[in-house]
Amino acid sequence: MDALFWHRLQFAFTITYHYLFPQLTMGLAWFLVYWKWRALRTGDQRYTRATRFWAKIFGLNFAVGVVTGIPMEFQFGTNWAGFSKYGGGVIGQTLAMEGMFAFFLESAFIGALIWGEKRLGPRLHFLAALAVAVGSWLSAYFILVTNAFMQHPVGYRIEADGSLGIDSLSTYLLNPWAWVQFAHNQMAALVTGSFVVAAVGAFYTLRGLHPEQASMYLRAGTVVGLISSLLVAFPTGDQQAKMVARHQPVTLAAMEGRFVGGPRAGVALIGQPNVAAQRLDNPIEVPGALSFLATGHFGSTVAGLNDFPKESWPDNIELLYYAFHLMIAIGTLFIALTAYAGFQNLRGRLESSRGLLWVLMLAFPFPYLANTLGWMTAELGRQPWLVYGLFRTAEGHSKVVSSGDTVFTLIGFVCLYAVLGVLFLILVGREIARGPGNARSIERGEEAAP
Amino acid sequence: MIAAWYEIASLMLIVYVVLDGRNFGAGMLHRLVARTPDERRQVIAAIGPLWSWHEVWLVGFGGTLLAVFPKLLASAFAGYYLALFLILWCLILRGIALEVGGHIDDRMWQGFWDFVFMLASTLLAVLFGAAAGNLARGVPLTSDGTFSMAFFTDFTPRGDVGLLDWYTVSVALFAAVALAAHGATYLTLKTEGGVHDRSERYAKGLWAAAAPLLVVVTVETAEVRPDLIGRAIHDPDCWPGLLLVVAAAAVLVSGLATRNEMLAFVGSNLLLAGLLATLAAALFPVMLFSTLSPENSLDVYAVAAGPDSLAYAAIWWPIGFTLAAAYFVFVSRRYAGKVSVRRDNQGFY
Repeated sequence: MDALFWHRLQFAFTITYHYLFPQLTMGLAWFLVYWKWRALRTGDQRYTRATRFWAKIFGLNFAVGVVTGIPMEFQFGTNWAGFSKYGGGVIGQTLAMEGMFAFFLESAFIGALIWGEKRLGPRLHFLAALAVAVGSWLSAYFILVTNAFMQHPVGYRIEADGSLGIDSLSTYLLNPWAWVQFAHNQMAALVTGSFVVAAVGAFYTLRGLHPEQASMYLRAGTVVGLISSLLVAFPTGDQQAKMVARHQPVTLAAMEGRFVGGPRAGVALIGQPNVAAQRLDNPIEVPGALSFLATGHFGSTVAGLNDFPKESWPDNIELLYYAFHLMIAIGTLFIALTAYAGFQNLRGRLESSRGLLWVLMLAFPFPYLANTLGWMTAELGRQPWLVYGLFRTAEGHSKVVSSGDTVFTLIGFVCLYAVLGVLFLILVGREIARGPGNARSIERGEEAAP
Repeated sequence: MIAAWYEIASLMLIVYVVLDGRNFGAGMLHRLVARTPDERRQVIAAIGPLWSWHEVWLVGFGGTLLAVFPKLLASAFAGYYLALFLILWCLILRGIALEVGGHIDDRMWQGFWDFVFMLASTLLAVLFGAAAGNLARGVPLTSDGTFSMAFFTDFTPRGDVGLLDWYTVSVALFAAVALAAHGATYLTLKTEGGVHDRSERYAKGLWAAAAPLLVVVTVETAEVRPDLIGRAIHDPDCWPGLLLVVAAAAVLVSGLATRNEMLAFVGSNLLLAGLLATLAAALFPVMLFSTLSPENSLDVYAVAAGPDSLAYAAIWWPIGFTLAAAYFVFVSRRYAGKVSVRRDNQGFY
């Protein structure tokens, strides 16, 4: 295997693993802010208990997010020296801004949020929760501006030495691609947060534990889950697809496994791309749907892969196709599940529908899967470019680092992250087992500050 | 503008070393100054909830380096490939040890994480020390501005060098001792009881050991890079750093002698900052010195991003810096004062 493959695999592995944690951080943060705010307004102890319980899980999740995040930035230099040299003057701006504006904010207040309730008092503690939530979303914006530049470069210029520099910082920061991607991605993070909250609520309800807290989690989780699942699909997902259709037509064709272009393009519900034979095997299509998604008209023409030179095709069309289609399928199920839960809630039967509770309890891994598939679609779809239309992935990796070194560090990450994953699950499992109602955990929360 | 960015990048790295250095030091000494499990929790509590804020300085430094000196980052990070991953893995282990150690109230569990914390902190101090030694000595840069090097070659600091040789190892040793002393000075300020008394003794002993080591490292630098010592003595740009070292040493010694813990800690911070500032000023404008041939060296002008990129960064950086400092002052004021041995220190700082 060549070095490029291992550099790509290491980045893919470390970023995929890392992003399992920030998506929950960004989703859960607003639940904490909301409960904290309710507690402040009403003085109701239920909200205080909910915040204390979820703050512990939030803290563990945040810690793993922090430690797995540090290697990401450094890999730009260690593994992607070619890209850093070429594009660092542009993408370094937002990576540095993320540190200066988002990480300093989050890291200053995270300790105060988790352990500083007594030391800060209720008002400042609420502000700490708000600071962490805002910081985590700001951080996402800067990273998405960076990614949006790689998807749809704007605001840059080519310097005398051939590398990229900033031409207009505001154009770069306000990249329309970044706004759409941010909206889509943040709604997806809220889906993860709400499914996790709902799953814990469903678990307690099925067990008959902490009924008051459990019903709060169930309600908040399914309501926010329904709203965010709808928003992920429309308008944000729809706008994202139109963005791809406008700026990366070859990617859209690959996402749909569409080799031959033409009018009334359909969306395949079932089908397997056969790249060797250049066709979609056993397709079952909704006619005109892709034309509508891409342009808003059922009859419009959508290009196929054959309309583009082969050098510009994404290099893993099958994986791209499956990632995109599975993401859409799972996302649709989220809407159905949370809508049904909302219906049962209106009838007052949410806590008594055992089948539904079982599904809600076991559904929490799927938003993680959907988020990952969405990112696979974005990143595989961008290939073979590292910066779309400007710089190829094959030119980006560190030429002085041999594939053996990369395999070694990749194995190191796999081992270390396996341990981290086990630790995380054990510790979160303990917090869930201990629960929000336990007298000891309440006393701890109040006596948190030494 | 390019020189100003060199100063800002140096400042960020210095702030990182001074802030996280005390955590490395506390981590290294942790099993020596804290005898009981409760005392070990006291040390962790003294490090406090802001350790990740300290670490952000390293992340911010990395991001800033990519934005303003992209070619340096590309060359250096790829060249130090394996060493950097060792640092990253140690940072992961250190952070995890700090965060999960207190989560289970069990002696074996906490003992294990205390050990991981000690080990990772020691390795980090040594690795960052070796990195500083590498900056001073140079790396085997070829004419295309890249390098890749082994952990060690023949242990001589010339020609085809490795990460470790007799020079960088002695810098690493000095760094480990100085950071341990820095950590002990911090723990003296921040704790009471047995940990305080032992930290105070370690602070005095370690600073006493660091002084002759600094002389040794200076003499060695005169042998390996005579031009650096010449710059430090003759170039007025280096004098503020040197002056800071002398003044900080005086403050530190008087603080330790009069048991004025805050004064000693201020001196300790300024001493580390002064040493690094002197090194940064003496190296300027070369950022990566080539041990193979001086004309291969990468200077700050060759690695900088375009002028507009630098100018844009100069707009937002001061805003970010001011905000970051404000959060720090706000939060750390609420954690002022000493940390005692109390049951509810169990993982809760």
